[in-house]
Amino acid sequence: MKRVVKHPEPESGELTGPKYWRSLDEVADTPGFREYLEREFPEGASSIEGVDRRHFIKIMAASFALGGLGMAGCRRPESHILPYAQQPEQVIPGRPLYYATSMPLRNAAVPLLVETHQARPTKIEGNPTYTPHGGKSDLISQASVLNLYDPDRSRSHAREGATLSGEDVASLLEETGGKYSENGGAGLAFLAEASASPTRRALVAELKKKFPESIWSEYEPVDEGAAESALTRLLGEPARPYYHPGKATRILALDSDFIHEGNGHIYHSLSFANGRRVKQAGDPMNRLYSVESGYTVTGGMADHRLRLSTSKVPAFAFRLAARVLSELGQAADLVAELEAAADGLEVDEAWIDECAKDLAANRGESLVIAGPHLPEEVQAVACFLNQALDAVGNTVDLLAVEEKQGRSIGELAEAVRDGRVRTLFILGGNPALNAPADLNWKELQAEVEEVIRFGYYRDETSKIAHYHVNAPHYLESWGDARAADGTVLPVQPMILPLFPSMTELELLARILGREQKEPYELVYETVTGMRAGDDAERVFRRFLHDGLLAESGYPAVDGQLAEEDVRELVAGAEFPVPSLSVDNLEVRLIRDARTDDGRFMNNGWLQECPDPITKIAWDNAILVSPRLAEELRILPGSPPVGIVRRNPNRIQLGRQVAPIAELELNGRKIRGPVHVQPGLANYTVVIPVGYGREFDGRISQGVGFDAYPLKTTDHPDYATGVAITIVGDETMQLANVQEHWSMEGRAIIREANKDYYDENPDFAARMGMESHAPPNLGPDAEARQMPLHERSRQTPRGYSLYEHPEYDGRHQWGMAIDMNTCIGCNACVVACQSENNIPIVGKDQVLRGREMHWIRIDRYFSTGRDDAGEIAEDPQVSLQPMLCQHCENAPCETVCPVNATVHDDEGLNVMAYNRCIGTRYCANNCPYKVRRFNFFDWNEREIGKFYHGPLGPKGMDELHKMQKNPDVSVRMRGVMEKCTFCTQRIEAAKINQKAAAGASSDVEVPDGTIQTACQQACPTDAIAFGNIADPESEVSKWKERDRDYAVLGYLNTRPRVTYLAKLRNPNPNMPDYAQRPMSAQEYYSRNYPNGGAE
Amino acid sequence: MSKIFPKWSNTVPLKVLIILLVLGGTVVGLVTYYFTPKYTRVGYAPTQPVAFDHSLHSGQLGIDCRYCHSHVEQSRHSTVPPTSTCMNCHNQIKSESAALELVRASHESGESIPWVRVHELPDFTYFDHSVHVNRGISCYECHGQVNEMEVVHHDQPFSMGWCLECHREPERYVRPPEEIYNMDWQPESEEARVEMGVEFVHDWDVNPPLSCSACHR
Repeated sequence: MKRVVKHPEPESGELTGPKYWRSLDEVADTPGFREYLEREFPEGASSIEGVDRRHFIKIMAASFALGGLGMAGCRRPESHILPYAQQPEQVIPGRPLYYATSMPLRNAAVPLLVETHQARPTKIEGNPTYTPHGGKSDLISQASVLNLYDPDRSRSHAREGATLSGEDVASLLEETGGKYSENGGAGLAFLAEASASPTRRALVAELKKKFPESIWSEYEPVDEGAAESALTRLLGEPARPYYHPGKATRILALDSDFIHEGNGHIYHSLSFANGRRVKQAGDPMNRLYSVESGYTVTGGMADHRLRLSTSKVPAFAFRLAARVLSELGQAADLVAELEAAADGLEVDEAWIDECAKDLAANRGESLVIAGPHLPEEVQAVACFLNQALDAVGNTVDLLAVEEKQGRSIGELAEAVRDGRVRTLFILGGNPALNAPADLNWKELQAEVEEVIRFGYYRDETSKIAHYHVNAPHYLESWGDARAADGTVLPVQPMILPLFPSMTELELLARILGREQKEPYELVYETVTGMRAGDDAERVFRRFLHDGLLAESGYPAVDGQLAEEDVRELVAGAEFPVPSLSVDNLEVRLIRDARTDDGRFMNNGWLQECPDPITKIAWDNAILVSPRLAEELRILPGSPPVGIVRRNPNRIQLGRQVAPIAELELNGRKIRGPVHVQPGLANYTVVIPVGYGREFDGRISQGVGFDAYPLKTTDHPDYATGVAITIVGDETMQLANVQEHWSMEGRAIIREANKDYYDENPDFAARMGMESHAPPNLGPDAEARQMPLHERSRQTPRGYSLYEHPEYDGRHQWGMAIDMNTCIGCNACVVACQSENNIPIVGKDQVLRGREMHWIRIDRYFSTGRDDAGEIAEDPQVSLQPMLCQHCENAPCETVCPVNATVHDDEGLNVMAYNRCIGTRYCANNCPYKVRRFNFFDWNEREIGKFYHGPLGPKGMDELHKMQKNPDVSVRMRGVMEKCTFCTQRIEAAKINQKAAAGASSDVEVPDGTIQTACQQACPTDAIAFGNIADPESEVSKWKERDRDYAVLGYLNTRPRVTYLAKLRNPNPNMPDYAQRPMSAQEYYSRNYPNGGAE
Repeated sequence: MSKIFPKWSNTVPLKVLIILLVLGGTVVGLVTYYFTPKYTRVGYAPTQPVAFDHSLHSGQLGIDCRYCHSHVEQSRHSTVPPTSTCMNCHNQIKSESAALELVRASHESGESIPWVRVHELPDFTYFDHSVHVNRGISCYECHGQVNEMEVVHHDQPFSMGWCLECHREPERYVRPPEEIYNMDWQPESEEARVEMGVEFVHDWDVNPPLSCSACHR
């Protein structure tokens, strides 16, 4: 008889453990969520649509029988080797070649080092020569290589849809230039993107000289110029703040996401993280205050976070400035003015006072950063505050930038309306999508006789232009640009343009009728001109080699902000504190974390990468606070005590079903799905822009909704007076990945306050089940006493039933992740995708839980209270990168029936794809849920056509093929895959070391040689990787720190990836101070309901 | 009750078993012989677009392997030479030869010569030449006596088991570094070679990987 083994029912005490939750549905504990949790995979993830097993086997049997008949294909196909006829210099087949370049984006470029394989750019890295970035990069630059191989990019120049040759375009431009040179350019206008290119600046200056009557305007939908124009006004010369968060011990972010977006954010994040790199108890750590309306990545890192609608932030800034200044005993007149301007603001006075005191007490080491969308007056006050706090010169520099060249789009629109524009050049940008709605750009553009659009896609703007001039990708063109600090960087091509195109520089040069038209020559002239007197050729070679022109940054300005001027400015400011309610909402349009302002909309990696906070992939949503959701009655009714019963329709088995809402602002309406996001200001509605494009690319088609109609000239980034209505019963599914793979109430993320840590440095080891587990890896275990480098080889078995592999390899690979610095920006996710040939699967498949990312960022919310019925309005966020943990006792290995996943002698949990038969037992047995299965041939099939079977189109796009990393297998259908610790990089390093060693025994790879893709990209340097058998390696040092712990360590999996516990550094005097971070409060109250955790 | 089964049927199960065993054994035997690279690959000698003769160039003329396969010490691939390498000599020697028509055409047009691949590993296998030739493994061990081949043929099976033979006992295959490209090198005796090999393996810390991760990524 079959014996039924019943697990003992958990005791009630066990059921009230610590509570982390990743979705509102989880905290509400709906029946739907329970059912979802208990399933092995999300619904549909493990079944074939419309075909049952029996039917499937029948068909397969028939096709095998047919296939067997012919015995065709027994001969191995003949393949060829095609060597170069003339081998290019420096190219060695099989070895990558790196070029220094930079990615221009708005008014700051990102310095990069690009890996190419026989002239194909495949992977982007940060340029380590540019020290402020330390070789780091960000999400968008990592993903930008895919844009180069976008099959939907425009492939030719065109006139009204008909293809034009390069010569035609050249003569068109030269003729136009010639025509207008006679009348000084009257009737000629330009609308360009912002640019940081010195060469373009020179050409534009020339243009203005040659065509004095012409209009040169610049427009960016995400404008970062407010601080610059405020400073320019106050100092009388153009200047821009350049922050050094790493030098600050107290930082106040005013509705600013400075570590995640905008000018210099890579530097900000790295330098901010440097201020939080606590090596041992007693080390200093910075403190971040954040006041914001949305929930940003910066807000997630904040030690104190205040929810406040953006339209109230100016008043907040004024009051705070007043308090800081009176604390410092400065500028009494201004203080009065500021207090008056802040009249009517209702926030916790103690919050402001204590924050002000803390900033003032750390004079010289504090820093105030105002979000770029805030008005000039706020920027001015923030700058003045920095000056009063002695921050200028210490934690912030005011850089003397070049003068703004462009007029505003509004001025251009006026000229068009007056009929003063006959020929309009639109250089980049996409005004038909993102110009302020009150300009009616599309109609405006139609009024112009001749519109010549220079663009990368044949998008909304190009469709209604007369000419389309094809722009090259930055990886295939010559150019230059300045980094955020002004350092001049090259933009150099590493591949010939894939399609006929012309750079912006050449276009301008041709209009000018210059003799020198080649962009290379133009850049050469600019750069060598900056080093007049030196050997030009050497200067330029060096420039290209280093990827920057040394010491070419902007100098600092000497000027001081006069209190008088600031007072005048504040006196003139009118920012009445609005009274917001469900009938008078504030809308805040934000740059999307993935598609930027919409320009990366057709990039599959970015679309599939979930938003850092909402975790929604493939869509944008109207983000509303729980309070607002309740008032709108879209939150399921109030729960009875203890058990929560909410509308099960909101999340159905892992798929978010969002109600649709309509927003109206001054008669303009938009409609989109609603996502309830805790942590927002109650009556602020946050919407990422850049979706809902009319450009039907393979990726962008039908994704999201367009929020630009709410953008106006007067209120480009936020506005009040918005009305919201829920549209009937209509719903929409959102691919929210946060519902997948929940980890229930365990000490997965360990957090403590800094002061607690200083007294209890071993707090991380005392949390979690293993701290009082049998001595396998508990605190008293023998293994714990053994030094890491010894333990890594011996790995005491604990009580494991299974035999261990031998760890006798020369190196023992391990990783440590510092959660104190991880900001959750997702750069690692896409870096991994690009390095390891990870496919995208599309929204439909993400809904089924089949996304393929090898590394994901888990985001947990915690409220501090152990009350399942509550929906937090103001939770804390904790983030954790999760990847294959390379367990020494790997549970996946013991269940594989074909030995497809085994350990190697250096501690890697390896995956032999060609052995895998796809049972998925390993994924089932993995406690970390990091294994990914190829349910379809993602690489060979088109998104949206996976279910067409043999009738669907097959084969990878020729362009996409070019992106693939030749050092990594492209996996096929039916194969399991997961993080390999970038085994190709490890092997390459070992091979290089051995090859160089030759007839010697110098074969140990030195520490630091190998960087995994995630580690290399990480803009906060939160990941260390290396040989843990070497006690001197960086990773060993990290792992020896007292905050080190293993996730689910009590399972005795002995992961090679360990985490450094997170610290928060709240101010004990603040009203929202808590003894413990919220997640820790939950942990302790659950595990030690009667106290006694100390 | 009469007997349902005659007496001879007693031995039927045994006979069936024997037949099945023999049949099974035969099938297994055939598959292991005919379906393995040892049968399918060894001896493969495709006709090349240009009848390049290794025995002439390498054997008689004594051109070093690395003159043409120039990146073998630096790269994963040993690299088949670009056309320009052929033309280094052949713009002087036999510059009118009909056999070199394709080479001249390639040199002029820039089109590659489509050499037929002789040695091919599966896509999921990442072999690296540089680490082998720099650490005492001669071309000869895998490619055979190329300097005597008029037409290059597949000399060794290149199966995983064959690779592992050497990875398990490197001392039997390593040779002095200066003899890597000497295709005619002969050890004094098999014992002397192993003795030398053991020394090299120890001195150079040769420890060929045996894990999947060594070649499969």
